[in-house]
Amino acid sequence: MSAPSSRLLFDEPGPRARRRIRIATVLAVLVAGALIALALRQFADNGQLAADRWRPYGTWPMWRYLLEGLRSTVQAAAMAIALAGTAGVVLALGRVSPSRWLRIPAGAYVEIVRTVPALLLVYVVLFALPRYGLDLPLFWKLVVPLSVSNAAAFAEIFRAGIRSVERGQLEAGLALGLTRGRAMRLVVLPQAARRVLPSLVSQSVGVLKDTSLGFVVSYAELLYSGKVLANYNHLLIQTYLVIALVYLVINASLAKLARTLEARQRTRPSRSVRQAVPTAQP
Amino acid sequence: MVRTSAGKRWALPVAVTALSVAGLAACSSGGDSGSAVPGSGGGKQDDLVAAAPVAANLPAGSTMEKIKKRGELIVGGSLDAPLLSQQNPASKKVEGLDADFGRLLAKYITGKPNVKIVNSASETREALLSNGTVDVVFQTYSITPERAKQVAFAGPYYSSGLVITTKKDKTGIATPADLKGKTVIAGANTPAIPAIKKAAPDAKIVTFGSDPECVQALKQGRGDAYVQDEAVLLATAKQDPTIKIQGKPFTSDPYGIGLKHGDAQMKQFVNDWLKQIQASGLWAKVWKNSIGTVVEGDAPQPPAIGSAPGSE
Amino acid sequence: MNVITDHLSEFGHGLLLTAELTLLSLAGALVAGTVVASMRVSPVRVLRAAGMAYVEVLQNVPLLVWLVLAVFGLPEIGLMTGLFTTSVVVISLYQGAYTAEAVRSGINAVPAGQGEAARALGLTFTQSLRLVVLPQGLRTVVQPLGNIAIMTLMNTAMAAAVGVVELTAAANRVNLAEATPIWIFVTAGLAYMALSGLFGLVTGALERKWAILR
Repeated sequence: MSAPSSRLLFDEPGPRARRRIRIATVLAVLVAGALIALALRQFADNGQLAADRWRPYGTWPMWRYLLEGLRSTVQAAAMAIALAGTAGVVLALGRVSPSRWLRIPAGAYVEIVRTVPALLLVYVVLFALPRYGLDLPLFWKLVVPLSVSNAAAFAEIFRAGIRSVERGQLEAGLALGLTRGRAMRLVVLPQAARRVLPSLVSQSVGVLKDTSLGFVVSYAELLYSGKVLANYNHLLIQTYLVIALVYLVINASLAKLARTLEARQRTRPSRSVRQAVPTAQP
Repeated sequence: MVRTSAGKRWALPVAVTALSVAGLAACSSGGDSGSAVPGSGGGKQDDLVAAAPVAANLPAGSTMEKIKKRGELIVGGSLDAPLLSQQNPASKKVEGLDADFGRLLAKYITGKPNVKIVNSASETREALLSNGTVDVVFQTYSITPERAKQVAFAGPYYSSGLVITTKKDKTGIATPADLKGKTVIAGANTPAIPAIKKAAPDAKIVTFGSDPECVQALKQGRGDAYVQDEAVLLATAKQDPTIKIQGKPFTSDPYGIGLKHGDAQMKQFVNDWLKQIQASGLWAKVWKNSIGTVVEGDAPQPPAIGSAPGSE
Repeated sequence: MNVITDHLSEFGHGLLLTAELTLLSLAGALVAGTVVASMRVSPVRVLRAAGMAYVEVLQNVPLLVWLVLAVFGLPEIGLMTGLFTTSVVVISLYQGAYTAEAVRSGINAVPAGQGEAARALGLTFTQSLRLVVLPQGLRTVVQPLGNIAIMTLMNTAMAAAVGVVELTAAANRVNLAEATPIWIFVTAGLAYMALSGLFGLVTGALERKWAILR
């Protein structure tokens, strides 16, 4: 909890400061509690807390339906992450390539796509492409625009990773007689990918959140499943609250994973170092 | 190697398991799904199918023969249109007028009511039909001469129209002319938007993604009126006493069965089937089972086949 | 191409609304982000926990869900605001979580000696944060904040789903009426690119002016 920085701006509080902090804490908690209580009362007055409005979400069929939506969300996200990640590696390599015929198109792709909203891309795939004879299945109507737009983000992450690897690594590879391509693939990329792993995970959380655009293309992911449910049981607010909770649990778990990876990376030497230095058997 | 067991720290599987467990626990405490929606007459559906006819013979080499070989009818439709084509989350069955007609047509062609619904956004139906992704479209598909240039329409099999809904106590909005200068709520990408623009060009249109959102917005006063297809609103107004349908439909939207453009043989075939189920009273039973659950009285007269411009 | 000229006013209104949404949300995000980042480095444990919870909760639910929840849920707890206002507030708070992370990394980048010097001068926590640490910290994160600005611009498109007729929604409506999607969406795309290009220029200029090389 207390990062090194949190000690930067204050000393260990003394007895008076501690008392002030305690009083402020109690006051803040009381005020926040009062506000929440007030909001809840209003919420209840409007009938939104009535038991029969929540009962459906205590039953298995509703959860089964939502979990199936979640499965579709995960499938779409996994495919989009795989495609965007692969394209991202290719684009990043293009951007650091010595050939300007690769560098310029890759750079142009990233700079253009980075500045067009994913929703607009979804509309293009949804409304424009069918008019020109390309009507993709629903799954791809969601996955294609997400992959196109996230490829740019992944490319930037990989590029940052590649640039963080010391030049000497590439040069050493070349000196050993590797071609540039093989030196990149065998020496630079593995190190780069390791360094940016936390960013890759957070970007993946972003992709997972972006799949909620399935709402627009009627692909039956989690949010669209919520839409169908709300249409069926007319419990709009309850349904979306439950959906928000599911997203929160899944994404917070992934974010925690990202932090764990980050912490591990900070404390442990990189694999190359470990392999070079013989370690004692445990 | 000094690798520690990293797998233990992976939180995602844990979270998923936790969710499933929560769901299971909830399952044991609760009974069946909560609020039932009108129009979900589970048992009646089977009666309908049992009474449905099967075509005596299919022309050789026809689209219908191909469908029969495949064993199921692929329908372009919705999952979220109450009374018409709404998925029941508990049974996963799709219920309503469009869904029932789809099942009956499937039985007529293949002998079994096997339908696969391809959830289609309304703008892509023409493309879905022309590239053969779906065999037919049952999805509040209004017959218009413009659309008839790209698809063939059998039917009309039902006639609906847009209606105006307001809060119960609201007065002074009953006809499209009353929408002038008002804020009007409509579903995103629905035919209501051009219709409102035509009836009241200076009305401010606010759109939301689904029917419950539009209704909630109306109740919260984010607009003076909500314009939507009558069939969709009938269910909503019945279920929610705080809103009210004002007046009669102000447009006429004959729903057609979308078929591949130029497939005259199948169009004839489907029209013959429609005539048959209208004559036998099955049409009225389908109506009773869906829209009839929220509207009093007998089934209306079905529209005459080929009566809408674009369906000739 | 005359599809575009015929509907210039719709596109203009959409573009204007997108620009307004972006600028207001960005201002809001900067305020929210700075406050939350300050909470996360403060001596009060409850504030630190609240700041962390804020970032976790806001970042891990899709913006679309937040928008729908706010538009339809807030009136039920007695907070009825217009669609535009609600969208601005929600996007501000959402981007505020990302801004908080950027600002916090900026605060962390300030050398410890600066904070110690401020305290040695007798400045309180708020004073040393406001007068010494934040001014330096914010300067080092101009580039990340520029990226957040572009992300905010992209995310304003989500307001289309809750009835705000910004650029994406305007393009979609023109397309519904005219059915010539490619030109309409390309135009909208170019408008977005122009706007983010503008942000890029501003960020670049600010960075040149303020950057502290360490």
